[in-house]
Amino acid sequence: MGALPRKRTLVNGERNPVEAAVPARSPIGNTRDRVLEEIAVHINGDTDIVAARQKGRVLAGTLGFSSSELTLIATAISELARNIVLYAKQGEIVLRVLERGEQRGIMVRAGDQGPGIPDVRRALQGGFSTSRSLGLGLPGVRRLMDEFEIESRVGYGTTVTARKWKR
Amino acid sequence: MDRLPGEYERALGTYLQQGGESSLKQAYELGRRALSEGRGILDMIGVHQQVLEKILINGQKADTVHQAGEFFAELMSPFEMTHRAFGEANDTLRRLNESLESETRRIARSLHDESGQLLAAVHIQLRQMARGLSTAAQSNLVEVESLLEQVEQQLRNFSHELRPTVLDDYGLLPALQTLAEKFSKRFGLPVSVDGKVAPRLSKTIEAAMYRVAQEALNNVARHAKASRVNIRLWRAPGEFHCCIRDDGVGFDPVAVAKGSRNTLGLLGMRERLNVLGGTLRIESTPQQGTELKILVPVEA
Repeated sequence: MGALPRKRTLVNGERNPVEAAVPARSPIGNTRDRVLEEIAVHINGDTDIVAARQKGRVLAGTLGFSSSELTLIATAISELARNIVLYAKQGEIVLRVLERGEQRGIMVRAGDQGPGIPDVRRALQGGFSTSRSLGLGLPGVRRLMDEFEIESRVGYGTTVTARKWKR
Repeated sequence: MDRLPGEYERALGTYLQQGGESSLKQAYELGRRALSEGRGILDMIGVHQQVLEKILINGQKADTVHQAGEFFAELMSPFEMTHRAFGEANDTLRRLNESLESETRRIARSLHDESGQLLAAVHIQLRQMARGLSTAAQSNLVEVESLLEQVEQQLRNFSHELRPTVLDDYGLLPALQTLAEKFSKRFGLPVSVDGKVAPRLSKTIEAAMYRVAQEALNNVARHAKASRVNIRLWRAPGEFHCCIRDDGVGFDPVAVAKGSRNTLGLLGMRERLNVLGGTLRIESTPQQGTELKILVPVEA
């Protein structure tokens, strides 16, 4: 992992945050990115999705993202949290303010210990013939954010990491 | 029964009074649902407008419009995802078309050049063989040579159909004139090509236009019962135009678009032009011929 977060807040703190089943080691970023702030939101249902969206909007707001960018970030959080509720029942959304060189940005990481995704490539293609044919879900998140990584193991869980940098 | 306006009105009303992320999420979820129900962007704008007007008539403060705009953005955010997906798909299609064309060009060239050289070598060998043979055997060889020439002609035709070298070497107008000549000979149907295409168009547009014209002529030969065809090309600032007109039996474009017959050809033409941001307009009346009007944006 990279530098220690300066500040870590747990939302819905009385519950233990679920440790992501797949250690989040990302090929880009982690070692270079400095974490300025971190908020973790336990996801167990609709109200948690609202909390995660709201925290994400506030964190990203401090970076000076435009209001339509804030909407897109909230959308990405919604889609990731929705997947947790839908497929894993519960999990965690971690939000971070990052610094990479001159750039600042926000990271959204969704982790769960759910069933995992058997065919990650297909899930990302959002093939125009499947139920994801509208390009929502994971492919949608990939298109809204600047960086996107996913690690999934069947039977162990899924971790999705997405970042958006302030221009 | 359309539930969306009512639900949107309630959610927007709550947001305007209390704000809050959960109303925003609701707008987002409504947008997501509307999208999967197949609703369009203008439809959403209509719903928002209708609801907003209703709320404003009931009398609220001035920054309502601004706040409602933020709310509306949530409703539309799922559409943004799909819109981006479409953009990506379109780029992929364009790249696919380009690589298909360059692959076709490669095959056409090697069909023409490499097999041409091989066949020339075979001819020389045959002639050398002929010297030592009896007259009877020689006349057999003459037959073999004439068959070989037919093979050569066929290969040239295939190569040309795949990718006319004249298109790459001289541009769209000469290529279409050659295509028209061959077509006229084959179907006994005069095709005139006129216009101006200087300066040359990009390779991608030239290839697409050539294929579209080829498909249009095929359609005329198959269905139109025409006695003449005219292809007109011209450039306007930032635009390239092509008009293909025949005096055949015509058809009802609406009926053809609904039925499955021949729509693949028209669909293929549309797809090729869509990728370039171009359009195809079909004007046809039964018994009065057909006119295809093609417009492709070009860099001025």
